[in-house]
Amino acid sequence: MALAPEATAGPVPAATPRRAPLSRRLAPYVGFSPAVVLFGGFFLAPLVLIVLYSFWEVINYNVVHHWTLDNYHYFFSTPTYVSTLWDTVWVAALTTALTLLAAFPLAYWLARYVRPAARRPLLVLIIVPFWTSYLLRVTSWTTILGEKGVLNRFLELIGVIHQPLSFLLYDRPAVILVLIYLYFPFAALTLYASLERFDWMQMRAAMDLGAPPRTAITRILLPQIRPGITVAVIFVFIPVLGEYLTPQLVGGTRGVMIGNLIVNFFQGAEYTRGAAISLLIAAMIVAMLVAFRKQLNMADTHGR
Amino acid sequence: MAGEAADAVARHKRLARGALVAWAVFIYFFLFAPIILLVLFSFNANQYGTLPITGWTLHWYHAAFNDFQIQDALKTTLSVALEVTIIATVVGTAAAFPLVRANLPFRSGIRAALTLPIMLPGLLIGVSLLTFFTGVLHLTLSNQTVVIGQAVYVTPFVILVVASRLEGFDRSLERAAADLGANSYQRLRHVVLPLIGPAIFAGALFAFTLSLDEFVITLFLIGGGNTLPIYIYTQVKFGITPEVNALATLLIAASLTITAAAFVVPGALRRVRRGRRISARPATGA
Repeated sequence: MALAPEATAGPVPAATPRRAPLSRRLAPYVGFSPAVVLFGGFFLAPLVLIVLYSFWEVINYNVVHHWTLDNYHYFFSTPTYVSTLWDTVWVAALTTALTLLAAFPLAYWLARYVRPAARRPLLVLIIVPFWTSYLLRVTSWTTILGEKGVLNRFLELIGVIHQPLSFLLYDRPAVILVLIYLYFPFAALTLYASLERFDWMQMRAAMDLGAPPRTAITRILLPQIRPGITVAVIFVFIPVLGEYLTPQLVGGTRGVMIGNLIVNFFQGAEYTRGAAISLLIAAMIVAMLVAFRKQLNMADTHGR
Repeated sequence: MAGEAADAVARHKRLARGALVAWAVFIYFFLFAPIILLVLFSFNANQYGTLPITGWTLHWYHAAFNDFQIQDALKTTLSVALEVTIIATVVGTAAAFPLVRANLPFRSGIRAALTLPIMLPGLLIGVSLLTFFTGVLHLTLSNQTVVIGQAVYVTPFVILVVASRLEGFDRSLERAAADLGANSYQRLRHVVLPLIGPAIFAGALFAFTLSLDEFVITLFLIGGGNTLPIYIYTQVKFGITPEVNALATLLIAASLTITAAAFVVPGALRRVRRGRRISARPATGA
């Protein structure tokens, strides 16, 4: 519409010689404008607000624009919070390691020993649980691990125990187990994608030249699939850092993670303190993404 | 001696493969047991929703269908999912074009920025939007605030799906249409959309499923209403009931059906179209 007068006023080119090229130069980017509105207004702006909040303070339940580092100071000077942060990082690291250890043999088996025709359905079966509700996948574990749960009933039926075991649920092991369950598909599929591209003849060549299997694996296989391993680590570690629901439902008081802390602060109207922790987590994640951007880009172009 | 060694190697290999197969069986059992149990207990007459199985019944489904809270939550869920799907499909498709085609500096950086809402935990999107809505915009939380929050999270998926299809798009087709006199609207309508339509459709179904199941962002942004996942959450805090299991089973069935459709329908559409073209050829020839 704005261009219409310009178009009819054709014979006066000298007045607007630079305008038309600008609009034409911007034309290819017009498609971004709805995304700029959506992400700018409702993703970036809220994140900027969180950054600001984390440096402001709350007085009488109102956020006041006083610049301060108190929120960070408060967090790092409270031992429970710091230990929760470390526990979260530790849980994420352990979950990542166990998930990859569980996923690697499966991916290896699929890529090396399964007929290509049978691989597709087996891969789809790995993704299927991922397509069922996240909430339900967490809650179903409470029916398995609880005192009246399936596992206890089963163990009682076969006579292994006579009293239900109560330590199965509402503790850190339950959290780690459920997290492995939730993020297993990510790890398995990423590892499979890189193992599938590997040329197994190289392993045979190495062993023909006298390398024992272990050397062939560590010197030939692992270096070549390292980008896939890195991506799998990121895809498990990062979402686990921000988990809220799993520790909330199966963690009990001993399974608390940093996500629960953030929610507690916001629910208790301590917005600025909650914002400071949120920013810490976001900063950790963005730092990891930037550090591993090369591998992520590679997965992006090869994974298709 | 040599034969024995070869035998040992072969036996070792068989053992290793057997161990791998056993591990694979265990993993698939681990992946499906929780889901199968939910489904199983939804038909179990036992009112505590656990073992033992005391008989088979459809009673819990009947109860779920007649529960007005569930009906309410279902309505909210569907209307939210519909709005999210429309927003995400339009915004995502529009953004995919320049992402693939425009002459962009820092293309991989822009791509990463557009997918950041997927990489950051939903929890952070939830609390930051909650703070933004209530602290800055002074909005009352409602289904609309949920729609916005979910759209932020879902749109990147649509961008990725449509962009990957656009990357495999042969642009000479468009040039050919232009040479034959098609204007930009005609090129979009008759060349581009039919070819990337299946990807847009898949992206839309994808968006719909993600919205149906979305939990964390919704938990922070929902007002007085309930979506089904939020309703289930409020219920399971007091222990899982068989009625919730029935509802869960229906939700799982819906997600899987829609997802299967997203993968199967585009291919089927292509085949139908190809079939039509082939069957149309003799007619024009005669």
